Amino acid sequence: MVDAALNALATFASPLRLGLLLVGVLAGLVVGILPGLGGIVAISLLLPLIFRLDPPTALATLTGALAVVYTADVITSVLVGTPGSPAAAPTAMEGHALARQGQAARALAAAFLSSVAGGLLGVVGLTLSIPVARPLVMLLGSPELFSFTVLGLAYAGSLLGRSPLRGLLSGLLGLLLGLVGPAPAAAEFRYTFGQLYLLDGLSLEVLALGVFGVAEVVSLLARGGAIARQAGLGGGWWDGVRDVLTHRWLVVRGALIGVWAGILPAIGATAASWMAYGHAVATSRDRDRFGRGDVRGIVAPESANNAATAGDLIPTLLFSVPGGPAAAVILGALYAYGVYPGPRLIQDHLDLVYVIVWSFSLANILGAAVCFALSPAVARLTHIPFAWVAPPLLVTMALGAYQTTRHAGDLLALLLLGLLGWAMKRSGWPRAPLLIGFVLAKPMERYFWLTVKLHGWSWLGHPGVLAIAALIVVPPLVAAVRRARAQSRPTPGRGVGAPATDTRPEPVAVFMAAVAVLAFGLGAGQGLGFQYDARLMPLLASVPGLFLGVVQLARVVRGEPVGPVDEEGVDDDGSPQRPRVQAELYGFGVVAAYLLGVWLVGFHVASFGFVALLLWQAGKVRPPLAVLSAAAALACFQLLAAGFDLRWPTGLLLR
Amino acid sequence: MRRAGALVLTVVLVWALASSAGAPYYAGKVVEIVVPTSPGGPSDILVRAIAPYLEKHIAGNPSVRVRNMPGGGTILGSNWFALNAKPDGLTLLAAPVGSTIAYIVRNPAVRYDFRNFKLVAVSGSGAVFYVSPRTGVRRAADLPQARDLVMGSPSPPGNVLTAIVAMDLLGVNPKVVFGFEGVGPARLAFERGELTLDFQSTIVYVTQVQPLVRAGRAVPLMTLGYLDERGRVVRDPAVPDLPTVYEVYQQIHGRKPDGLLRWKAFRALFAAGWVYGRGLWAPGGTPPEVLRELHEAVDRMNRDPDFQRDVAQRLLEGYALHRGDRVEAVVHRNLQITLDVVKFIRDLMRDKYGQEI
Repeated sequence: MVDAALNALATFASPLRLGLLLVGVLAGLVVGILPGLGGIVAISLLLPLIFRLDPPTALATLTGALAVVYTADVITSVLVGTPGSPAAAPTAMEGHALARQGQAARALAAAFLSSVAGGLLGVVGLTLSIPVARPLVMLLGSPELFSFTVLGLAYAGSLLGRSPLRGLLSGLLGLLLGLVGPAPAAAEFRYTFGQLYLLDGLSLEVLALGVFGVAEVVSLLARGGAIARQAGLGGGWWDGVRDVLTHRWLVVRGALIGVWAGILPAIGATAASWMAYGHAVATSRDRDRFGRGDVRGIVAPESANNAATAGDLIPTLLFSVPGGPAAAVILGALYAYGVYPGPRLIQDHLDLVYVIVWSFSLANILGAAVCFALSPAVARLTHIPFAWVAPPLLVTMALGAYQTTRHAGDLLALLLLGLLGWAMKRSGWPRAPLLIGFVLAKPMERYFWLTVKLHGWSWLGHPGVLAIAALIVVPPLVAAVRRARAQSRPTPGRGVGAPATDTRPEPVAVFMAAVAVLAFGLGAGQGLGFQYDARLMPLLASVPGLFLGVVQLARVVRGEPVGPVDEEGVDDDGSPQRPRVQAELYGFGVVAAYLLGVWLVGFHVASFGFVALLLWQAGKVRPPLAVLSAAAALACFQLLAAGFDLRWPTGLLLR
Repeated sequence: MRRAGALVLTVVLVWALASSAGAPYYAGKVVEIVVPTSPGGPSDILVRAIAPYLEKHIAGNPSVRVRNMPGGGTILGSNWFALNAKPDGLTLLAAPVGSTIAYIVRNPAVRYDFRNFKLVAVSGSGAVFYVSPRTGVRRAADLPQARDLVMGSPSPPGNVLTAIVAMDLLGVNPKVVFGFEGVGPARLAFERGELTLDFQSTIVYVTQVQPLVRAGRAVPLMTLGYLDERGRVVRDPAVPDLPTVYEVYQQIHGRKPDGLLRWKAFRALFAAGWVYGRGLWAPGGTPPEVLRELHEAVDRMNRDPDFQRDVAQRLLEGYALHRGDRVEAVVHRNLQITLDVVKFIRDLMRDKYGQEI
């Protein structure tokens, strides 16, 4: 085995291979940085290469692209609060909060370093698992897989935020959104409203982009000024490095969660990130800083999502069952070479396995190095007026969202989910449970039905299930006991907003609660009409949701204060809310007008007009310069689209 | 001077005209193949593997690009093709099995009609049934006596319809558990012992299941079979030692199934979903000379030893890649199912498995 590993390493002595690995890494980095584009874009761009290169070189290129996406997505997440990929959403919360406190450098350093550590730990896991994973995975039947999805949901419990009611509602709404599309266990398409676009369900990319990205851009635009409120890059790089060293065991635990999530089918990097984040919150004694810029909320998920990528490769290589969409492409590439992963792979093609292992490791290190090199320059973005950053950012988001199905529905979904995210943010609903509910809804439903139909109720006694149940039940009990002990000592209480002086109902909060009640009502109403095997989960999500939603609606109508509106808390500066809401609504109108424009007159005309107008009006750039900048930006997008084979809407009116 | 100039101009014009007349239609053009799934699946990889050979063998060497348009369970991309592709031979559709099944069972979302398309090339695949030794089944004819047959499936419809209809034809009533994420996870559940009957395409059978057979953990039973050029059922060329469903029916019932509604339903799904399951289509009005160019490229490709080694052996599993015009009539005939057969399939799924498709 050592021989094979060393031989595989020797294959990288060729400058061509190393060069192409770097090409893969660069493609992965670009795709990671650009919000809305996932690893699958980079890898399908490189896919034609596999028919022209020898297997080791092609695998090195593909693996290189795959390995670094979750390292580079940190940059966008930290600097502009828009997740570069759905798996970076926790970093977009915590990292961006730090960036606004002027600590972008620290957040970036911690994120890159934990990413590379997670990637390397993941690949160690991959290598070690080769001899043992097969019997291990064979132990995981449907009941164990179902229990794991419940465990994931239980981790979300620690992310409910200040108001458990709103947290629960958010999670249930996520579940409901995750159920749109084909039911896993029955021939039923749910909540599609006759729209072909919804037949496959909502895309995770568009959801993450809308709920976190659009909402953040609108807030930042409305507030004006630069992203960072303090001058200077702050704490600096060494602080981030020190953070990772301090929390080294959290990094390791994050990587373990990631590898595990990767091995499990249907649970990918996004679920891994949130589970690791939930784990970080649950195991921390002082939780006050979470949501307002806590570095522990960066290192755990960043380690986990890179490790999950390596974990995805385990079922791919051992069973020919891809662990995720990007791993499916690697599998396809192997097929194209006449290499069939599975029981015989280890005997027949151990060399290729090690090529993948080494490429993954090298790419992780190279990727992080490039990111570190880029960062001082890009971190300065947080100090220029946001109105200069926003136009190209929004154009990228629209372009990215449109790549998911290349259907005008992508743009509409982005807009509506953006509105949802913004309303949630403004009414103090935590958005993390929404995303977790969304990614776990279908796996949970799938494995529930498989479990019940294959095992009846006997599965409740399986040792694996009992062990996972203990994992779900014991930590909250321990925490409760700990808290009970702590309560005997007086602790400095945290002021949750000023005492409410204004008891008029908050319009956005009322809107949000009303939307939720409507959604759950519709969910329950339609849910009753589904086939038996497709009905349970929709009703489980929407009936409690309806009750809780009505309670929430009653509360806000009576004028319950929303509390600190930003999850980051840093916006809670006592400035009057209503004018800000108006400014944000205006910003929202701008975004809506742009997306509508893209749909009507096509990407080019709309983007040009939007960038130029926004730079002139909001960015206070002189008109000639604004037009010139817009033209330059458009040229950049043209290059990008040509390079990555992206498409854009041609416009309904200009066809 | 002016006359000399006119002469030069004439020469240039004549030369330009002559060369444009002589240049192949596809010279300098871009052919886009629409694949209505995400990148990386078997049908996508197959198209991508064929693309460089199309570039090489279409006269004029156009560049061939793959355009993935996933969504709507492969219907979105196929609909897009039907509504938007110009009949100039520059946009082709690689229809995966999902689009074909949705078409033959008359899914209301389908806006495409294969009768309006021209077939460029088509290839197929087969599938193998196998059971766990625990069932006591040693050969396919034992199936009707077997109890505790549990089969897994992704959510219906889809290609497992073929397996379900096959079982119904043979008078076997396995329990079918829906909800698997794909056929891969179902195979793992078989290995774990959660399922006792499974059904996989031949390539997966040969590479993943045969090791289990050798270890005594799986018993191969039968194949779907294959169709020869005249539409007769023959043994699967990739697994010729196993009997076909057609043969097993005769072993069990002592007569041929031809004419039965059950057989018609099985044969329709088996032909459309498997034997002609991978079609490359051009829009209906494509000029005949352009189609001829494409068809000849398929011939040249089939003669190319590199293509035989890299694509035919590895990805087509040895099944032939047919030139579209030769089999078009047969394929079109197999894609049209009468309403009574569609109704039979729907009723079977509803009455036996409670699934409305």
